[in-house]
Amino acid sequence: MKKSKYSSYEKKIKRQYASLMVPSLVLFTLGIIIPIIMCFYYSLFEWDGFSPDMKFLGLGNYINIFKDPQVMMSWRFTIFFSIANSLTANIGALLLATLLDSKIKAKTLQRTIVFIPCLFSSIVTGFVWKKMYSEILPGIVQALGLTINLKLFGSQSTVLLGLTIANCWQWTGLWMMIYLAALQSVPQDFYEAAIMDGANAFQRFFRITIPLIMPAIITCTVGLTTGALRTYDILVTATEGGPGRASNTIVYYIYNIAFKQKLYGYGSAISITLIIVLLIVAVAQLMFFRKKEVQL
Amino acid sequence: MSTEAMTEIRAPKRIVHEKYTKGTFGLQIVALFVSIFFIFPIFIIIIDSFKTKVELVMNPPLSMPESFRPDNFIKAWQSLHFGEAFLNSILYTAVSTTIISILCAITAWAIVRGGTKFFRAARVYFLIGILIPAQSLVLPIYLLWNKMGLINSRFGMIFLHICTGLSFGIFLESNFINTVPVEIEEAARIDGCSIFQTFFRVTLPLLKASMATLIIVQTFTIWNDYMLTNLAIQSKAKRTIILAMRTLFSTSKNDYSVAMAAIIISATPIIILFVSLQKQFIKGMTVGAVKG
Repeated sequence: MKKSKYSSYEKKIKRQYASLMVPSLVLFTLGIIIPIIMCFYYSLFEWDGFSPDMKFLGLGNYINIFKDPQVMMSWRFTIFFSIANSLTANIGALLLATLLDSKIKAKTLQRTIVFIPCLFSSIVTGFVWKKMYSEILPGIVQALGLTINLKLFGSQSTVLLGLTIANCWQWTGLWMMIYLAALQSVPQDFYEAAIMDGANAFQRFFRITIPLIMPAIITCTVGLTTGALRTYDILVTATEGGPGRASNTIVYYIYNIAFKQKLYGYGSAISITLIIVLLIVAVAQLMFFRKKEVQL
Repeated sequence: MSTEAMTEIRAPKRIVHEKYTKGTFGLQIVALFVSIFFIFPIFIIIIDSFKTKVELVMNPPLSMPESFRPDNFIKAWQSLHFGEAFLNSILYTAVSTTIISILCAITAWAIVRGGTKFFRAARVYFLIGILIPAQSLVLPIYLLWNKMGLINSRFGMIFLHICTGLSFGIFLESNFINTVPVEIEEAARIDGCSIFQTFFRVTLPLLKASMATLIIVQTFTIWNDYMLTNLAIQSKAKRTIILAMRTLFSTSKNDYSVAMAAIIISATPIIILFVSLQKQFIKGMTVGAVKG
């Protein structure tokens, strides 16, 4: 008697919790899930996005992707950019967090300085770094009597480096904050015990810090890679995909092909490849890092 | 209150071990150079925003402006109709962020307290949005919003931000709520609180730190967004400060001091918000993003 009464109360509560999720479920489905399904549907057609006639192609669009050198170029740039960014920003953020968690003075001020760039819009970052590379840094180099070419956005071979620096300038601070928070949650006694046992600073960092902050490393790596794979805003003002087409990311390419060249079906097919890559990368990273995680 | 008291007690323990050695001095120098790298572009934005056209061309890039007159700021404000754009930005950001924060907190709370397989599946469902963000779905989103008649409408813009922005908040809040004890809520329920009273009176006040983190991240994401806003807004009257600024970046190639002034105007509200919520922000990060 008593038990069934309790479980009906439990059921009522669970039903209330479930009903609380309904608004978010509906909105999220509308904003993300339905577009994913639509995207897949349109990718099977040749369509300009507006006219009523849609020609069914089956997997034709997907076959065309592999024949299109520009998609391949965009993918190549996107992948290089993602690798460069996630490595640089990740390692940079972790080192910076360690540095700004050490015994140095004016830590709070310096943390704020490193964080502030991510409060600007990416189109601002693109614009400011374009000015930096084209006028300000060359001006300084000239005044110093040196001849280093710092017009990084001007040549196809350096545009990747230029964008990586600009992007890392903007986002390292955000990830550093996550690492800082993680570092501060590592119990001090662990380090004290390690010092007693004669572990040096490197051993303490690699044997204690790294394993214990693994959840933060997962968050940052997945966030940074998926973030870089969908880069768009910074290109609008920095390079416009140039010089030539050297810095077209895949999202930038999709945007152009759909809204300028009116190839909606084809653009959708490329979007589907992006979705697949995003999922594979995230799942692979999660599986890789989860193995290395330790519980406190 | 209790957590603050705890950190106060724990804080001196860390300080006891802190000694300023030669090695620390080396680190201090490294940190100084790092700070210079991060602040240098901002320094350039500030000095250039006060320079005149002539100064930009004639003087070397690092020279200080001859006077600190607000001419460029006034010009930026007037030529871009910043008043209007500012109100739009504030409207979109404030409404979207408020609704997203409450929805995320309440959904994450339901997921964590629900606890069964069904709720865990819902969490995974929402996480799809972190892995597949709206930026990769611009085409279908545009078509869908167009079909619903929500393109170039203020409501449509806010609705778009809410629909596409829920995942991160649900992830952050559910990690945070996992650390909030359930006993107080149970007591409140026994005392006859409804589910809404329990959430708003008992749980929500305990989520202060993670809510600050969420509000800051959402605010600067929505305020600074270019891609989705550009997709959903076409008319001059409804555009945001970021869209307005974009026109300046392409047209005024020689007179970029006005653009620099516009950048400062556009970033000031966000920087003020961050500085005032900074403490809570870091605390929310600690639990929400690290202990995932």
